[in-house]
Amino acid sequence: MSLLEARNLKKYYATQKAVDDISFSVAPGSIFGLLGPNGAGKTTLLRMITGIFFPDSGEIVFEGKRFDPMKDVERIGYMPEERGLYKKMKIGEQAMYLAQLKGLSSSEASRLIKQWFVRLEMESWWNKKVEDLSKGMSQKLQFVTTVVHNPKLVILDEPFSGLDPVNSNVIKDEIFNLAKNGATIIFSTHRMEQVEEICDHIILVNKGQKILDGTVREAKQKYKASLFRISFDGELPQQEHPSFSTIKRESHSVVVKINEGSSSNEVIQSFMNGGASINSFNEILPSLNDIFIELVEGTPTARQFQTVTN
Amino acid sequence: MNKSVLIIRREYLTRVRKKTFIISTILFPLLYLLLIFGTSYIATKSSKELRVALIDSSGLFDRGLVNRANMEDSSNTLEYFTGNTDSVISNFSEMGYDGYIVIPPANWESGLPEITLKADKTHGITSIYGIQNKLNGIWNNIKYQKLGVNEATRATLEKNKISLREENQKDKASNAGIATGVGYLSAFLIYFILLLYGSQVMMGVMEEKTNRIAEVMVSSIRPFQLMLGKIIGISLVALTQFLLWIVFALIIYNITKASGGSSNMMSGALEGIQKVVSNINVPLILFCFGFYLLGGFFFYSALYAAIGSAVNEDMREAQSLSFPITMLVIFAVALMAPVISDPTSDLAVWASIIPFSSPIIMMARIPFGVPGTVPYWQLGLSMALLILGFIFTTWFAGKIYRTGILMYGKKPSWKEMLKWAFRK
Repeated sequence: MSLLEARNLKKYYATQKAVDDISFSVAPGSIFGLLGPNGAGKTTLLRMITGIFFPDSGEIVFEGKRFDPMKDVERIGYMPEERGLYKKMKIGEQAMYLAQLKGLSSSEASRLIKQWFVRLEMESWWNKKVEDLSKGMSQKLQFVTTVVHNPKLVILDEPFSGLDPVNSNVIKDEIFNLAKNGATIIFSTHRMEQVEEICDHIILVNKGQKILDGTVREAKQKYKASLFRISFDGELPQQEHPSFSTIKRESHSVVVKINEGSSSNEVIQSFMNGGASINSFNEILPSLNDIFIELVEGTPTARQFQTVTN
Repeated sequence: MNKSVLIIRREYLTRVRKKTFIISTILFPLLYLLLIFGTSYIATKSSKELRVALIDSSGLFDRGLVNRANMEDSSNTLEYFTGNTDSVISNFSEMGYDGYIVIPPANWESGLPEITLKADKTHGITSIYGIQNKLNGIWNNIKYQKLGVNEATRATLEKNKISLREENQKDKASNAGIATGVGYLSAFLIYFILLLYGSQVMMGVMEEKTNRIAEVMVSSIRPFQLMLGKIIGISLVALTQFLLWIVFALIIYNITKASGGSSNMMSGALEGIQKVVSNINVPLILFCFGFYLLGGFFFYSALYAAIGSAVNEDMREAQSLSFPITMLVIFAVALMAPVISDPTSDLAVWASIIPFSSPIIMMARIPFGVPGTVPYWQLGLSMALLILGFIFTTWFAGKIYRTGILMYGKKPSWKEMLKWAFRK
């Protein structure tokens, strides 16, 4: 059973179909990547899952029951892309306030916050004000306030923006930790290298519609272009064979595309017959970045305004 | 703990703990007193003692009469001028006069035409009235002399003036003078608090929006709870401040009483307060004040919250959008003077029933007496409509707030905001 299931979600604004019939499901304990270019409808989608917006149609099922924003928000932690904290409030009070709004009692909130503060080396911050924090520090605080109530579902919108590599790694480790301890994580971004590293399952949305849904491996298999890199000892052979076409010649290797109907064995065979000594033979899988660009390219980079008829 | 209570508590505590709250609570009454005493002091000090030459061509005035009038009223000086009149007319300011008056040839029975004070500057109307009164006094004396009225008869004539006082049969205690004072004071206080704390609500909402905490908040609670929590929290701040003022007033009152009316002025003030207290229904006025303060505050601050949610960080945008709301409040204050001068007129009745102006206007009327001046049905209707009014504005503002708080970019117009409010 999936922890969260979205069925045919739609949300139309006056001039845009922000989310146009998107369905997906998130397995418990997984790290789920929600990808898409700017303005694809990611934030609107997340706002529906967090109960901030009501979908125009479609339904959301959370832990097997129909999503009830009044009750279920306590089991969700949401860190929006636009971070926000009360500038004039002390950090400890701020964390306590947000934790209590998530339904924790004050003693419980205080215990959990202190635990997190120790873990992320933030103990000395308690009586400082938010306005005294650097961007990276307030990012860490924001992360703590998002996860302090041990939510079943953690939704992170661009969690690494503004963090240096060291702190990025700290947060990344915490994300893995949360998933290991049973939380499910939805991770929205357009930074593909992080997705490859972190996510189990991804969906890609563009212009309000889902255009890809699967594991990272599946996506790569699906969008691979039968490209192989063969490296050689010594001289590059000037081989031609109907089973492949050469795409690129590098100093010690060539990139070939295996033609339809042929197998990699035929290609290797032909090189071996030509007397070349093969050093390695690798399939080149597309990076998510390549897939992303391929799928999104050709559509205008900025969403156009459209007339919506319901 | 209930989430709404958490929000109210935060909104309340962050404001009450601020230094500005403590300072303004102490300073406001002082400034208010300073303003009242200061302006009346300045008003009495600033009217100039005019020195005016009086050139008499009628032959009716004489130096003795003029000097006696000067002795009775020293706020200006008339100088009966004999000598070269042409030199005065051309050089009065070099001779130390502020102006001169020429009394034309006249017959005492037919009276004097309008007389002109010729001066080289424009003087205030109070100074001119002073001289007019003095001239009239002298003119009366001249007429008495001509008519042969002696001192005794004149005293009789002047002594016997009728003074009229109104007594409301339904409410004998009401006293128009005290009611006017109390009415003005309470209506003005409500006006100040509406504008002051209304704009605090607006700024608070704007702060949440520009700090981008709004989205974090609404992922934990409903936007409506957030808005209402803020409004209630700030209304409690206003009430706290008001209660502190009452406590201050009581302390000062008791200290002055304990010090035994050592000076005349203090005992006079004490008597004045006792007179006010015995003349008006204090519990009723305090209750109504609290009611209209909160009712009016909820009514208007919901609208201010809606505006705060609609604009971005730009203060000017907020001002231009809130202008119509502020105008409504100011309009109600503008109605106050005619209402207090006739608290039972149609204008007064309707303005105190319609929720836009009722918090201010009803508070101006209530000190005149319930049910004497304000029948129970009017008070009841006004309160009921105010409650309905703020339920409506809160609902209406909540709809705008919900959309506005997550909306960045262009400032919406009132028309767009109405659209947000009335769509499904």
